[in-house]
This record gives sequence, C-alpha cells and structure tokens, in this order.
Amino acid sequence: MNISYNWLKDLIEIELSPYELAEKLTNAGLAVDSVERFGDDYVLVFDLTSNRSDCLSHLGIAREVKALTGKELKLSYNDPEVASARTETADNLETKLNASPCGLVTIEAPDLCYRFTARIIKNVKVEKSPEWLIRRLEAVGERAINNIADITNYVMHELGQPMHAFDLDKLTENRIVVRRARKGEKIKTLDEVERNLDETMLAICDAEKPVAVAGIMGGFHSGISENTKNVLLEVAYFDRNSIRQTSRKLKLSTEASYRFERGVDIENLIRASDRATELICEIAGGEADAFVDVYPTKRSELAVSLRPQKIKTLLGYDVEVEEIKRILSLLGFKLKDEFSNGLSFVVPSWRHDVSIEEDLVEEIARILGYDRIQEEIPPSFGAGEYQPSEERKRNLRKTLANMGFDEAISYSFIDASHDARFEIVPNLVNENLQEKFITLMDSIIEGAVRMRPTLLSGLLDAVRTNFNRGERNLKLFEIGRVFAAFDDKEGAFPIERELFAMVITGGLMLEGRALPTREVDFYDLKGALEASFEALQLPFCEFVEKDIKHLRKGQSALVKVGGKEVGYIGRLSDGISEIYKFRQPVFVAEVDLQTLLEFEPVKPIYQPLPIYPSIIRDTAFLVKGNVNFAQIKESLEKEAFQNLSKIEFVELYQGKELAGDERSLTIRFEFRSNEKTLTEEEAEESHNRIVEFLEEKFGIRKRF
Amino acid sequence: MREKIQKIRENFELEFRQFQEIDFLRLSLSDAEGLMRNLQEFKAKHTGKKSEIAEAKKLIKEIPPEERAEFGRSVQEAERQMLSLIQEAEKRLKDFIAETKIRRETLDVTIPGFRWRTGHLHPITILRQKIEDIFVSMGYAVEDDREIENDYYNFDALNIPEGHPAREAQDTFYTTKGLALRSQTSTVQIRAMERRGVPIRIIAPGKVFRNDTPDPTHVPMFHQVEGLCVDKGISMAHLKGTVAEWLRRLFGKETKIRMRPSYFPFTEPSAEFDCSCFKCSGTGIFQDEKCRPCKGTGWIELGGCGMVHPNVLKNCGVNPEIYSGFAFGFGLERMCAMLYSIDDIRLMFENDIRFLRQFR
Ligand SMILES: [Zn+2]
Repeated sequence: MNISYNWLKDLIEIELSPYELAEKLTNAGLAVDSVERFGDDYVLVFDLTSNRSDCLSHLGIAREVKALTGKELKLSYNDPEVASARTETADNLETKLNASPCGLVTIEAPDLCYRFTARIIKNVKVEKSPEWLIRRLEAVGERAINNIADITNYVMHELGQPMHAFDLDKLTENRIVVRRARKGEKIKTLDEVERNLDETMLAICDAEKPVAVAGIMGGFHSGISENTKNVLLEVAYFDRNSIRQTSRKLKLSTEASYRFERGVDIENLIRASDRATELICEIAGGEADAFVDVYPTKRSELAVSLRPQKIKTLLGYDVEVEEIKRILSLLGFKLKDEFSNGLSFVVPSWRHDVSIEEDLVEEIARILGYDRIQEEIPPSFGAGEYQPSEERKRNLRKTLANMGFDEAISYSFIDASHDARFEIVPNLVNENLQEKFITLMDSIIEGAVRMRPTLLSGLLDAVRTNFNRGERNLKLFEIGRVFAAFDDKEGAFPIERELFAMVITGGLMLEGRALPTREVDFYDLKGALEASFEALQLPFCEFVEKDIKHLRKGQSALVKVGGKEVGYIGRLSDGISEIYKFRQPVFVAEVDLQTLLEFEPVKPIYQPLPIYPSIIRDTAFLVKGNVNFAQIKESLEKEAFQNLSKIEFVELYQGKELAGDERSLTIRFEFRSNEKTLTEEEAEESHNRIVEFLEEKFGIRKRF
Repeated sequence: MREKIQKIRENFELEFRQFQEIDFLRLSLSDAEGLMRNLQEFKAKHTGKKSEIAEAKKLIKEIPPEERAEFGRSVQEAERQMLSLIQEAEKRLKDFIAETKIRRETLDVTIPGFRWRTGHLHPITILRQKIEDIFVSMGYAVEDDREIENDYYNFDALNIPEGHPAREAQDTFYTTKGLALRSQTSTVQIRAMERRGVPIRIIAPGKVFRNDTPDPTHVPMFHQVEGLCVDKGISMAHLKGTVAEWLRRLFGKETKIRMRPSYFPFTEPSAEFDCSCFKCSGTGIFQDEKCRPCKGTGWIELGGCGMVHPNVLKNCGVNPEIYSGFAFGFGLERMCAMLYSIDDIRLMFENDIRFLRQFR
C-alpha cells in the first residue's frame, strides 16, 4: 500500500523527514519497504501485516503517527460521532429499522449488510478530475477515470472506507435493496465481465435487479457515465466473511473487497460519505440532497482488560499505569474501568485485531519500541536431546561423503506417472487399497501431484540434470521421507517413512585428477551400501538375487538386514534408462532407513587374539551359474569343519574358455587351531575334506 | 722389454679413447650404462689376471737382476697409470649415471596426491546440523513430526481460524483426501506440547510446503526450523536473549539482533527478528560498495517470533495464566542463501554437483 507524505501531512503535523517517519513506523510494526520520490512529494510503500486493515488509508497511518509523536489529527471535516448524531436527528431513524422511511434504502439481509448509507447528489457534471486530485491518486498508484469515480477512490485512500457511486437515474424506481442474489441472477460488472451470482452472495439491487456485487464491484449499466446527472453514493459496511467468500467464488479481488474482507471502520461511514459529498459538490458542481443511514446490525462495543503484571510477564519490564493510559488513549482506546490490579479499555471501532489482553500488551510494546526489551537467557532447564537416530544418521552421511557421495535433496512431489516404474521398498505399500499413494489436488509444478513413494525418481532426475550439464561421473545419495496411503478412510494420516537411496554412474574419480581410474559397477554400489550398514551399526546383511521391476535382470538383488527385507539394489533396467535417455550404466539402491534404525546398534564384542599361526589355501573351483559364493560360505560355516577359521572371497572369473554359465571362483581358506601350531598335513587334510564336501554338495570341481 | 711396456701402454691408450672422449651432453642413460659395462670388460682386459700387463709381469725372471728393480717400477708405474685412468673414467660415468637417474626420477611434487574423490553434504544438512548442535547445547530437544497434517494441526490449533488470510491464501497444498502438506513447522509445537507437556524446550527442523511458483527467492518446498520454549515466567526478554545467543554462536560474537513488531496468528506479541549483516558487520558497505546480502541496510531479516498465543497454549491444554512461552521460526534456504551469497534458492533442489561440491 502506498501513502503520500504530503497527503499525510494534511491529516497530521509531521516534523520527521519521510525517511525518519518510515523508520519510526517500521519499528512500530508498520513495515515501510521503501520511500520513493514523487515530484515534490514522497511515497511510502508499506508492506502491512494482514491484521492491520485499519492502516490501509492515510487516516489510519495518521493515527499511528499520532500515537508515536503525540501530535493531534487535523481533520477538517466531521468527527464521526458528531456526524452520526446529526443524521440521526435529521432523519429521525429508529435504529432497529431495516429501511429508511422514505424508502430509498431497504436492507433485506442485515446479517450480511450491517449498515448502509446513501446520499443523493444532484446535477453533477462528470468530467476529468482536477490536476491535484489526479496527482494524489497517481502517488498512491491509482489511475484517474472521471471526477466522481476519482473522488470515491480518493476518499477510500484518505479514510479507508470503500464506496460506490451509482447513476441514480439508472436505478429502477430510484431505490436500493440490499439482499442476497437470487439463483440465476447475473450482472455485468464495471470490468465488463458477465458474472453469475448465487444465493450466498450479497447484491446491491434496485427495485428489480442487482446493480452491484456488494463490497466488490459495481455494475456496468448503473455506473457513472458522461451523461450522469444525479448520483447515489453508497457507503456501507458488509460482513467480512461474506465479502471474502464471494470474492473467492467470483475470483474477483478489488481494492474495495480487500478492505471489506479485512474489516473497515463501521463508525466511519458518515464521515467518509460527508467527505466524498463535500468533494463532489466542490469539484463536480453537484448539490447535496437526501441522506439516509440504515444501521440494523449494531456493532457491540468490546472492552479488554489489562493487568500491568501481564506486561511485566510478557515483556520482561514494567510500564507505569499512567504510561499505559497515555499510550492506549493515543491509539484511540478509551479507558472504561480501573480495578485494583488492572484497567479495562474500549477497543476503537477501527481495530479488528485487538480482542485480548495480550493484544494490548503488544500495542504498548510496539509503541515503546521493541528495543526496550532486554536480552536475557531463561534459567537452565535440562540437557538437550538430539533425535534418537541422529548420531547414526550423521555417521551414515559422513561415511557416504567420505566414499565420494554428494547429498541430494529433491522435491517430495513427483510426476504421478513415475511411481509405476519403480518397485517400492518392501512393506511400504498397502496392496489392498484402491489408492495406494498420496496425491495432491494440484501442484504448482506441472504434473507433480504425487507425494513420492520412492526417492529414486528424484535421484534419476538429478542424474539427468548433471548429464545435461556435462557431468557424467556421479555418486549421489538422498535421505528423505516417502509417502503411501495407510487407509482408505477420509482424513486418515498417510504413512510417512524415511528412506535412503543411492545412485552411481560413470567412472571412479580421484580428487583433483581428470580421468576416472575405471568405470563403476554393481560391486561399487554394493560396497557403499555395506559401508552404510556398517556406519549404522546394523546386524548382518544379505543380498539375494531377485528380479526387480526397475532393475536389470541378473544384476539386481533384494537387500535383507537382520532377516528383514529392506530394499533393492542393482543396475537400472534398459527400459528406464531409455526413458531418462541414459547412455551409460546407472546403478541404484534404495532401502527403508526407518526400519533399519529400529535395529539396536550392534556393539562390537572383543574376540581373543589368535595364539598359533594359520595356514592358507587359495583354491579355484569351477562353479555352475546357480551356485553362489554366499551358499558355499554358509554351508561350510554350518558344517563347522575342524580348524577352518576363515573363508574369504578371492576372485570370480568368467573367461571365454569356460563353458556356458560356468565360472571360476577362487576362495581362500584359513586353517588355524586354538591348541597348537597346525602342520601342513593337518591343514591339507581339512582342505581335502572341504573340497570333497563341496563337490558332493554342489557338484563343483576344484580347478587348481 | 721397455718397448713391450711401451706397446702395452699404446694399445691401452688407443682403446681407452672411447671412455675418455665421451660426449656427456648427448649421452643417454642406457648408453652410459652400456659404456659402464664396456668399461668393466676393458678394465678386466687391461688390468686383470690375464691382461698383457700381467703377462709382462711374469717376464721379470728373464730380465737381468740389475735391471729387475727398474723394470718392476716401470711395470707398476704403467699399471698404476692405467688403473687410475680407468678409475677416473669409472667415476665420471658412475656420477653421470647417478645424476641422470635422479634427474629422471625427480617427481613433480605439485601434482595432486592420490585419494578418492570425497562427497559433500547438502548445504541445508550442514546448516541444520550446526543449528541442532547449538540448540542441543542450550538445552533444547530436537523434535520432528508429520509432513502431511490435517487442518487442525496446520491451522486451527495454531489459532488460524477458517477465513483467516493466512489460511485462505492459495498456497497450501492439499491431498485428494483433504490433508494439508504442513505449511510451517509450527505444527510440531502443538504435537510436541501434546506429547511432552510443559515445561518444554524444543526445536523442530523440517520440510515445509507452499504452492508457490518457483523463482529465485521462492520454492514450493523448503526447510524451516521452529523453536519453542514454554515455562513459568518466560518473557520476550528471554526470546530476545535466546535468539541473540544462538545467532552469535552461529555467526560470531559480534552479531547484533533487533526485533520489529509483526503479526502471526500463533504469537502475541509478534516480531520479526533481524541480525546484523555478517558480511559488512552491519555497516551496509562492503569493499566500498553497497553490501549485497543486506541490500545496504546492515540488517538481514531472518525470521518471525513472538510470545506463544494464549489460544495456542489452551489448545495444548496449557494454562496461559501459569505458563508463558516464546516461539520462533526461520527458513534454512534463506539463511543458507545469505551465508553463502546464493542468489537463486532453486539451486538447492537441482542437485547439480557443481553446486553441491562447493559446501563443506
Ligand atoms: Zn551487509
């Protein structure tokens, strides 16, 4: 909102420069974003908080200046109380009446229109506004239209009260009915758009039809034109919620609706009407005629009490009772009562944001300035706590970073078409549900309406981004939540689970050196996953060969930890690689971190150091494709061969000279006794028994 | 006999020339090593047991006794001279070979050492961990909760009634089942107070969501840290002191803070908090130019704070006549952008490694 410095000076004496004023107001909670020169004037650009609708005018800001400087307002026109006294006697209105006696205004919906004033001004001449008026409107960012429209705009910016001028002669029966719109009623608004009204909307009507959408925009046909002679000036107060809802429904927000929905001053109507009338008579040469004020829904006066002790509690410093009275009275609060431990104040009609004691404390605090508040540390309370899993997660992150992984953070919403591509980690999705995933009503990012059930989509997007920017050697990880439906029921909270995913592609890089040492493969990613599990202090993990939707057959595995299925690892399938236009192998892994963190950290247990030396045998076996290292190792451990102390993988070789799916698997056996130094013969004997056992059990032969 | 010795010496000198007239400037290491081998053979040939000079020594018996002494001397002299020439040549070659080897094996000690490329944590993680460390050391518990909330936790409990502008704004994401993606981490205030009761001191870092069009200063998902302290006798002075303390621990001892009145539905009184610019130390000028992070004001807007609204306390079953508390919240992306002079926060979610690798 823009405020003209000169205009403000018409309303209150100001000794501060525009810049000093801006700072003072900012420190009192009315944030001035900038001060701009405008000819011989300055414009203060405010960024007001949504609660301060009372400050959306020069009068509103002038009231704040008064509270900050103690200067009096110099309003050249009627005080609202005087004005209302005058009209009540003039028209001799019964406050309960919903209509003016002369029939000019009838309010059929007093629950939505609390008060309505109408002023007839005759014989106006509609033309261009005088230069001074145009300049003032320009200063606050308004475009001049014609003198009548400009004056209503001018008064809104001056006093904060939106108003509307009708061409009286275009109103059927020259009268106003304020009522809910009827089903099917339409109105062409000033912006020349045909709008459909419904029964929830408040309309200003003539004897037949809507002539304005209350508080939002006037009708095109009843508006002021060059030929307008007689004007009906509407200055009213409408229910805030009603205006807001209608504005949302019509997708039409105006300066007027903006103010009405935040709340204007219901006791300021007559002053605003008088001010506009005065200006119209002066500028457009009209003659003021009948005036009516229909006020069926009286505002109830609100009193709020304030205990000085509350100020001390909330602000940490004392404020004298006299000081409290002085500040609040400058802000327009009227002292109503004084008790032994406090005071009570009547909230001014323009302040819709004050209703409780704390609000009054804030009024005092902001006028005294927040600089007054001291810096103190609360007395100590107890030891701090990290999230229970934070230490393990930090270890995990550090381990991954040390292995060359960069940490990614991706948006939690992804394209809904993506989740069908991936196998979701075990035990996340409830397959019995109709809708398994969480979907957003709409998203600012085109198509991204699915709350991600997998982190892989985001990581692969990151791979694509980096490829596009010429980076082909990548190691990325992400730790973040994924989402899935828990229940079909409306309002049921979804499952939110923290996962951990990795992707690698390209070459293995050295720091500061341009060329990769070699291309990455499945085992690089597996190693990283194993190291991650170690960092998390997890129980034993297994990798079980398995076909996974998004992974390439023969290079994919189910990951199990402590016997639980937790995720998948492998090379991205050719199909998905094609979608992302990847032209080099990409390896991905995704595991359920939350489930992993439910395992108690495995603590190391000391094993006595061996006393006697060991004997080592490296043996190559010819194995068939369906026999793997884990099976061999497991079966040997189960058999518990005498003196066999360790089984280690040496090498897997798939040479062309080997038949079909045969491979050469070299295993290292370590033999050791806890009682004595083994002889070569004893080791050899154990080794021979192992070879025999393996041949018998798996049909694999020793090569050398 | 003398002629014989003379002859031996002449032969020696003739053959030795190849070792005497070496052009070291053009000599390669392998040629030098070849020459060295030749020299050893040459040495054996001319000074060894089967050399001509050795043969000559045996002739001493045929020499008349009175001449033997002189003959002996001259043979020895010849032998000594040859040996010394050979040794000199040997030394020259040996030195040359040693020097050449050192020269050839001299390393460029400036090329990078051998180490695997290390990765980098996301700047948001780095900052979040620092902030968590500070608050844990100040006695706060780190809390987190749901990212998908219902309207009660996202709005009602936070004193944002239906129709409130903050709630009306079109920027809350809703699921098809009517749940909201939390638009602020203040939701955790409510859940934590329900769970832990009061007194309470927590911070809640986490993701929040606003349906904002991405631009250099807006992203539809970002991270916030919420702080809450409720106890008997907690005042705004405690709020100011706490905010000042953790900002000093994060940005340095000289950091100043200021609070300006503001409005949030869940606090009353409410404030924005700013800290003195860490780049220009609050002067607004950096290297003779208008400071960028603070736009020349010397202050950086960091977040919002205030005294917990009595309605919020009541919603959590806390009596505002007995307890009072403060809350504050700020965005990590914004703070990160300030700290590292990042002018486009969308970069935080692109995962471009050229960006990620700049942070430690
Ligand atoms: Zn600065």
